[in-house]
Amino acid sequence: MSDRDRLLLIVRRLAICLVLVVALAPVVWLFSIAYKPTRDIFASPPTFLFTPTLDNFESVFRYFKLGALLESSLVIAIGSTVLSLLLGAPAGYALARSESPRAIWLAYFFLIIRTVPPIATLIPFYLLMRDIGLLGTWWAVIILNTALNSSFVVWMMFSFFRSAPVSIEEAARTDGCTDFGAFIRIALPTVVPGLIASVIFCVMFSWNDFLYAMFLTKADTKTISVALLSAYGTKDISWGTLGALAHFSTLPIVAMMILLNRYFVQGFTQGVH
Amino acid sequence: MSAASRDGAATDDDAAFSGGWSYTRKRQMFLAAMATPALIYVLAVAVGPMVQGFLYSFDSYNLIRPGSRHFVGLDNYLALWRDPTARRALINTFAFTFGAVTLEFVLGLCVALLLWRDDWFNRVALGLLLIPATVTPLVVGLIFKALLSPEYGMLGYPLAELGLSGPRGLLADPQRALAALVAIDAWEWTPLMALILLAGLKTLPTDILEAAAVDGANGPQRFWLVVLPLLMPAAFLALILRMMDAFRVFDIIFVTTSGGPADATNTLMIYGVKQGLEFFNIGAASAVSTLIVVCILLMAAAFITVLKPGRNRHV
Repeated sequence: MSDRDRLLLIVRRLAICLVLVVALAPVVWLFSIAYKPTRDIFASPPTFLFTPTLDNFESVFRYFKLGALLESSLVIAIGSTVLSLLLGAPAGYALARSESPRAIWLAYFFLIIRTVPPIATLIPFYLLMRDIGLLGTWWAVIILNTALNSSFVVWMMFSFFRSAPVSIEEAARTDGCTDFGAFIRIALPTVVPGLIASVIFCVMFSWNDFLYAMFLTKADTKTISVALLSAYGTKDISWGTLGALAHFSTLPIVAMMILLNRYFVQGFTQGVH
Repeated sequence: MSAASRDGAATDDDAAFSGGWSYTRKRQMFLAAMATPALIYVLAVAVGPMVQGFLYSFDSYNLIRPGSRHFVGLDNYLALWRDPTARRALINTFAFTFGAVTLEFVLGLCVALLLWRDDWFNRVALGLLLIPATVTPLVVGLIFKALLSPEYGMLGYPLAELGLSGPRGLLADPQRALAALVAIDAWEWTPLMALILLAGLKTLPTDILEAAAVDGANGPQRFWLVVLPLLMPAAFLALILRMMDAFRVFDIIFVTTSGGPADATNTLMIYGVKQGLEFFNIGAASAVSTLIVVCILLMAAAFITVLKPGRNRHV
């Protein structure tokens, strides 16, 4: 490596570090305010120095039923993810294996459903749930989330199955394996990264959603993101408490993304190949 | 789906009959059966309500006055057209979408080029860089609401001191609030744009790049004449995905400005949600939803026309 190349590499890495600082500083700041006493958060001009405290976490437990909030978020995320995979993976497989030129249009149809603005479905769905008595239950959010998440799973699994080899499946079917057997035992194991990516995205979309949960749940079924919003602007709740509460809403997803980073990246880039 | 897979009949290569159906026919029935549950579910839970909403948009329908629902034709749409707030929301939505997507594309391309080399440093950096995209959008709004506060915000205080924002902060400044929201959106989604563009860069055939270098093309020439044209498919995918998402932005605006000050950051989504779920004016909200869907479908149609699926397997 010549001196010029070495210098260029250092400059590039410094630039990347700068980008990382910009990307991460706000998140670090959010977590840091959870350990700050209120007077330091509202210091004007703002200060970087503070005496760490766990008071804010205490207020989280005092003002919020944290267990119930996490339970709601978790039930909705898992319920919607399981349903979306059960519906989406077989459909993605069918579209990928269909020899019809129209299969790709159907795949696009599912992709477009994922991008439909929430308000277009939310209001009629809200009235429907009210009429059949599901408003305020976890089911209302799970059912609606699943419609959008399963569409996305169809699209993602479609692109994963399409780039998976067909020959082994065909050989297995020739040897007398049933169509469904070939799907379960041969095709699915080759797209495990796609399945993991699908799980990541479904969990992330459901967990991070607050518009649906805000209007479709009630006090005892609300999720942690709804609690965050209603806490914000309440007199008793300081920014520090919000920061502490945000730990519980943000860290699980960030941790999942970091642990399963490879699949996250692969899932998002599959459509490009 | 059944219609879709029936087309495959032309490739019938196995005439072995079992139970009266050919092998190919059975295969098609199987594939159709695999796709049908998802299709029915999506039609029932997503498309059904959308159609219902479309029908509501021709009604005067307010939940506060039950029993008063009646057909009014295009009145809701005409009312939208006459309402300066709605017109402002439409313009703001396009301005936000255009601004955010452009900024994210330029920044995302820069970051992708920086991370192009595949080594451990860049892999770790990419992993960390994706954190903003996984933070709950609602929380992103809260973070920047606090950071931009002119009194105690790490960003807002210096901006106010330097006179770069009004005394009440960027988000309360009618001239700059929308731009501030574009910047927040760019913070959140540039990494994702970079990720998709990086994936595109990695699929570029190295022999062409090397050939260009051997032929004496310098850095900028290689970028503009070789890299950028080859990157177009990935760029289109990244652009259209972000465009459709940015068009329906809600969370960060709802939390930070809720459409204010003086409608400066009001978008169609905010306007529609307020009409529907605060004022319970279902007819008006449905007309707004229809407008959003039409805009998004037009953008999607433009995307698909440009990419011509089916002829080009590489989406």
